[in-house]
Amino acid sequence: MSAIAEAIDAGTLPGRVWMYADYHCNLACTYCLTESAPGVSKRLLDPDEMIRIAREAAELGYRDIGITGGEPFLLRHLPETLAAVSEYLPTLVLTNGTLFNETRLAELAPLARLPVALQISLDSPDPDVNDEMRGPDNFATVIDAIPRLRDLGITVRIATTGEPDRLDEDDHARLCALHRELGVPDEDHIVRPIVRRGRAADVGLGQDFAPEQIPAELCISVDGAFWSPFGPTVRGGELDTDLLISRTTAPLSRPANLLLRLIQGRLPGDAAAIGIR
Amino acid sequence: MNSMRVVDAAAPATSPLVALMTPATAPLLTRGAFADGQPDPITAVLAQVPELFDVALPFIGATLGPSFVPLRAKEIVILRTSALLECEYCVGAHTVVATDAGLGHDEVRALRAELDWVAVFTDNAERALIGWIDAIALGRGRVDESIATAMTDHWDDPAVVEITVLIGTTMMLNRLCTGLGLPPGADTLERLSTDGFSA
Ligand code: SF4
Repeated sequence: MSAIAEAIDAGTLPGRVWMYADYHCNLACTYCLTESAPGVSKRLLDPDEMIRIAREAAELGYRDIGITGGEPFLLRHLPETLAAVSEYLPTLVLTNGTLFNETRLAELAPLARLPVALQISLDSPDPDVNDEMRGPDNFATVIDAIPRLRDLGITVRIATTGEPDRLDEDDHARLCALHRELGVPDEDHIVRPIVRRGRAADVGLGQDFAPEQIPAELCISVDGAFWSPFGPTVRGGELDTDLLISRTTAPLSRPANLLLRLIQGRLPGDAAAIGIR
Repeated sequence: MNSMRVVDAAAPATSPLVALMTPATAPLLTRGAFADGQPDPITAVLAQVPELFDVALPFIGATLGPSFVPLRAKEIVILRTSALLECEYCVGAHTVVATDAGLGHDEVRALRAELDWVAVFTDNAERALIGWIDAIALGRGRVDESIATAMTDHWDDPAVVEITVLIGTTMMLNRLCTGLGLPPGADTLERLSTDGFSA
């Protein structure tokens, strides 16, 4: 058993590996951590690379895969790649849920038989509040897509991102009534805070977190391996590197072992005391 | 020999070719090096590749730092090699370190190729050392037998190995600093001026 598998079994290392499939998006949400929008640099992760990461993650003892972006479903290859990735590990895809037309739904149908779930963003039970952050007609589009995905047999989760003061108890109750109405059970609804990075930092939204406060989930993007999917964010068009673990991502064991070393408290930098001139 | 380019300290410093990492951008594995603020430029550029930094910095520290080879000999190696490779950054920094290690003003100038080293260095072991440095840093192919024999006559095997690795490591750093255009620090320039050395 690898040291990674042992740490996952012991609960000291999270069992999920994330991948940033891309950075571009058809939306441009006010709090987007990656400054995603239609015209930004795509920073694509190659589909073969995604499959390689899933295979090696399974071999190392990881338990599941998360795929995020950008909007992953802008990538034409995604349904096929998801099928291949999920052969190795159960896979969760984060999506804004706005691209599921008839053609796309037909392409997704085979995924119903596979361990693939979609997590769709919905930030408020009120269309105007949701759309203020996520763009015009977002609420209506998402509400339309969720039952159609579920009708295909695809597992759908809902993620609500927001400032605590924007989602009071009443909003929360109405949101839960809505997701239940859409067929999404309570355990598949998550509420998460805005992290003050990317565009959220520009507009003063969200909370600051130290790395130690963020789960140490290994996250791979085209730029390297990071501590958590909150790592490879973008600010002012520049990649954030403060949560970068390594530029090298193959073999996956290399960044995985560096991350393990970090969480085991052998924090780096002691060597810096050598005082290079 | 006086092949070293003299830099006009008043000339505007050029920007490095790549970004120097800062306390705000330093990756996790490199964080300790930024805990007290902005480190030296070599550390700051190596932090661009944290997994390389992770092994390179301890290696560089073990090679350039205190060891069984006397500090004076190590500074002769580093300064001489840096002068031969015309690395402004390393020549400046190690002019200061060599002076602090007890080398005399003329010795430092000789290593910087500003004086004839044969006239300045009279100790046979140090003459053999400088001959070896020049052969390794500038030569191609096998080292001339007389230079190699002089070296092994005065230095034991472990010292020959470490000194040769030190020459190579210094050359790597010289090319890194020169290629990436790392600027000598203001404190180094000030100290050089105070001690009567050109930058
Ligand atoms: S938050 Fe998600 S949906 Fe919104 S712009 Fe960013 S990537 Fe796109």
